[in-house]
Parts: sequence; C-alpha cells; structure tokens
Amino acid sequence: MNVLEKLKNLDRRIIYLLVFLSIIIPLIPGFDFLKFPVSASKETKAIFDIIEGLDEGDAVHIDFAFTPTQKAELLPFFEAFYKHCMLKKVKVFIYYGASVNGMPLGKETVKRIMQRPEFSHMEEGVDYLNMEYIPIQPDIQIFGMVSDYKGTFKKQGKIFDGVETLDDIDLILGISGSKWHQPLIDMQIRFHYKFAMAVTAVTGPDYIPYFQTGQLCGLSNGLRGAAEYEMLVSKKYDVDYYGTATKGLSSLTFSHLMIFGLIFLGNIIYFYERKKGGK
Amino acid sequence: MDFNTILDNIFLNNFFSNWMPVIATLMIMSFLYKDNPLFKIGENVFIGISLGYFWTILWDISVKPFLIMPVMDMFVEFHWTDLTTIFWFLLASTMLFRFSRKKAWIANYYFGFIFGYMAGMYIPIQIQNILLQSTNLMKDINQGSFYETSKWIVLIFGTFSALMYFFFSKPHKGILGKTARVGIIVMMIFFGAAFGSTVMGRVSLFIDRAILLVDHPFESLVSTLGIIAFMIIYFKFIYKEKEYDDESVM
Repeated sequence: MNVLEKLKNLDRRIIYLLVFLSIIIPLIPGFDFLKFPVSASKETKAIFDIIEGLDEGDAVHIDFAFTPTQKAELLPFFEAFYKHCMLKKVKVFIYYGASVNGMPLGKETVKRIMQRPEFSHMEEGVDYLNMEYIPIQPDIQIFGMVSDYKGTFKKQGKIFDGVETLDDIDLILGISGSKWHQPLIDMQIRFHYKFAMAVTAVTGPDYIPYFQTGQLCGLSNGLRGAAEYEMLVSKKYDVDYYGTATKGLSSLTFSHLMIFGLIFLGNIIYFYERKKGGK
Repeated sequence: MDFNTILDNIFLNNFFSNWMPVIATLMIMSFLYKDNPLFKIGENVFIGISLGYFWTILWDISVKPFLIMPVMDMFVEFHWTDLTTIFWFLLASTMLFRFSRKKAWIANYYFGFIFGYMAGMYIPIQIQNILLQSTNLMKDINQGSFYETSKWIVLIFGTFSALMYFFFSKPHKGILGKTARVGIIVMMIFFGAAFGSTVMGRVSLFIDRAILLVDHPFESLVSTLGIIAFMIIYFKFIYKEKEYDDESVM
C-alpha cells in the first residue's frame, strides 16, 4: 500500500508543521468559533471555594517559586488567583523563596495588575506585600512562621495587623514546576495549615494523591487549571479576566487532537504491517 | 548622558521590545528544520543572558544583603550573635575544598551537617506521610456512587497486579502470569498518562510563544520571511554536508 508507506516515512518537519498550524490557527483573529467551553475540575474549584469562603482582611500567603521558563503555564494562574484575592479584599503576602529569576517577573505582574482601575485604591503594605527574596527553604519558612511570622521576615506595616503566626494565614498557595514544595506538603500533616498548589502539567499527576488525602486542599494543573480559574473568577464577579490561558486552551485542545490522530495513524500502520507480514 | 542611560535608551524602547522576542523565538524555532547558525546564535545569546542575569541578581538580592552587608555592619556595631553569620559562611566555604584532591574531606563537614539535619527532620515526617497515604487507601469499598467505588477497585487491584509483575520468585504462569499481564497494562496506562501530561506541558510552552507571534503579526511576518531567506541562501550556497571517513568515525 503506497499511501501507508508514504505515511510511515513521513518527514518529521511535516508533523511539526501540522502541530504548529493546529496551535496557531485557533489564536488568529477571526477563528473565535474554534473556542471550546471550559468546565472547572474539582481540584481547581477547591482553591476557588477556599478564597470565596474568606472574609475581608483574611490572609493568603503565595510562595512564588517559578522562573520565566515556566511562565507560560503558571503565570496565568497567578494572575487570576491574585485578582480573585484582591476582589475579595484578602491580604496577600507574596514570597519569592526559590525564584531568584522569577522575582522581577512576579513584581512586574503585581504592578501591572494593581494599575487596573478596580485595584487602583489598594496600597502595598496595606492590602498586599511583596516579601522579596529570602534564601530559606520552605521548611524553615514554616518553622519561622510558627514562632514569629512578623519577626522572621523583618517587615513592618499595617498589613501585619492580626497576622502574627502561621495560624493567622488562611491559605498557603505554592506555585512551582518542581519538587520545591514537597516539604510544605509533608509538614502539612504536623502543622495542619491549608496548602494548595498550582503546578505544571508535567508534575501535575504526581500531586493528585496528596489532594485525595487532604494534604493539598486544592490543585491547579497546568494551563488548563489556569483557564478554569480565569473562567471561575470571570463568571462569579461578571468581569473579563479571561487571559492567555483561556486564549490558549483551544490551541491546546486542537494540538492534542492532532497528536492523538498521528499516534492513532502510526498504530494503524504498525498493525497493518504486522498483519501483512504475518507476525 | 551616562553609560546606563545610553543602555536604557537602546534596550528599553518599544522597537526593541517588539522585535527582539519575535526574532529570538523564530531563531530558536528554526532548529526544527535543521541545525543552522541562526539557532546557534539564539541559543548562545539565551544562555549567556540567562547566566549573566542570574548571577547579577543573585549577587544583589542574596550575597550582598545576607552576607556582605551584615559583615560590614559588624565593624560598626558588633554583637556576639553576628558570629553565626561567620560560622555559616565558613561552613558553606568548605564546599570549595571539593576542588582539591587531598583536602576534599573538609567538605564532608558541610555534607554531614546537611544530611544530619535533613534526616532528623524528614524521617519522622515522611513516616507520617507514608502512613497517611497508606491509610487513605484503606476505605470502605462502598463509596456511595458507582464511579467512586469502581475507582477504588481499579486502584487496589491495579496496585496489586503491578506489584505482581515485579514478583520474580515464581514463574509468570497461570493466575500469576495473568495478573502480571494486567499489571503491565496498568503501568502502560500510567506511562501514557504521564506522556500526555508532558505533551500538554510542552505544547503550553509553545502556545505562549504562539500568542506572542500572533500579537505581533507584522514583526512575525517580516522576521519569518527574513529567516526563511537566510536559510535558503545558507543551505543552498554555504552549507556543506560533513563527510566522515571511516578512520575519523572510528
């Protein structure tokens, strides 16, 4: 069969081109009809529900532990989550423990979000705080917070009113694409804080068992998790917080369909040849 | 006009920030066709800038405020607790003895401290962690809905059959062989899911670049045409296939 023989020896560059087109076409203006509806998974919705359950003045601690190389997957979630916290008027502490390279990215993103008209009245040191880089591991961070949250980080300001120890933090959110937050998951058993994570798609399956046991109270997985969170916040508050994650989700779907189709085709050729060869 | 202002004027303007990401992205992507000088330039510039930027920022936000400044402050006003900074600095400096063949053992003090600290803290926590993960599996098989119940059955029998695949004390025949076969299928499903997640992650990275290209259509079009023109000229007139003789390969 000539066609099958040609498909079997298909140049890899044609495959690259097909995947490239499946990603780029849904992004081009005018191809909006290719958008897919997003439904929230229970892991992502769990994070959303925790923030929804908080009152004004409650505290959330974000451990921003990713670098610009993971920006594509994790920054959309950080943006959506941060906006949600600001809408709920929750105090946000952003700490850059593992991310020397990521700190300027995080600070720039926060600055850009705070320039939006709805957040223009909010102040650093009152409503949110960039805690800069402190070269300590997450375990020491937690031990430090148990003893003296305020003293450990040497920060003063109105935002620290009512926030003295770890017990005063209502949610710790770790955003990373590595094993950096494993100590926080392990020590959750001992200190019983609420800990949620936003991770890259590659590491996502490793953390599902921790969500099932309750060690993680929420989990956002890759670009899809970010798109889900953007949708949840936008729908709840009737705002347009759809960002790059929602924009890229159609491309993600089509590229997966393309890869799935190519794998399926490869298998058909394999089984046909095996049958033909009588093996 | 000082040097920093001149640099800012060159790099911090709209023209540069619009064109440079697009050109750099396309230069790196040109590798998908074939290895070429544009890819090499893009690769080396990326690594150089990343390392230079990382070290500069690491110096500014870590070494300077947490080592140099405290040590300088000691000369102004000394507290005995300041000696801890010196102690940690000396302990960390022992790592440098790894470069010496005869004195490499000095670095073992650092490793000894780290391993001791990690073992002391993590062994009890990990035991708690493993126990929690294990006890979570021991639930009533009736989980309310058919979906939840079937999930537990798959989880328990999947784990058991996958373990049986690695049970080599008896030949894989009869029931053991069939169970091991199910174990292989379970593992293949896991590997498939892991592969799917990896593909999703890698495609997500490209989507970010694709959004950048779509957001700068003029720059993307001009850069793409320029890179294609360069590659045609390069591979047509300049590039020569490397010829290996048998001796050099050997």
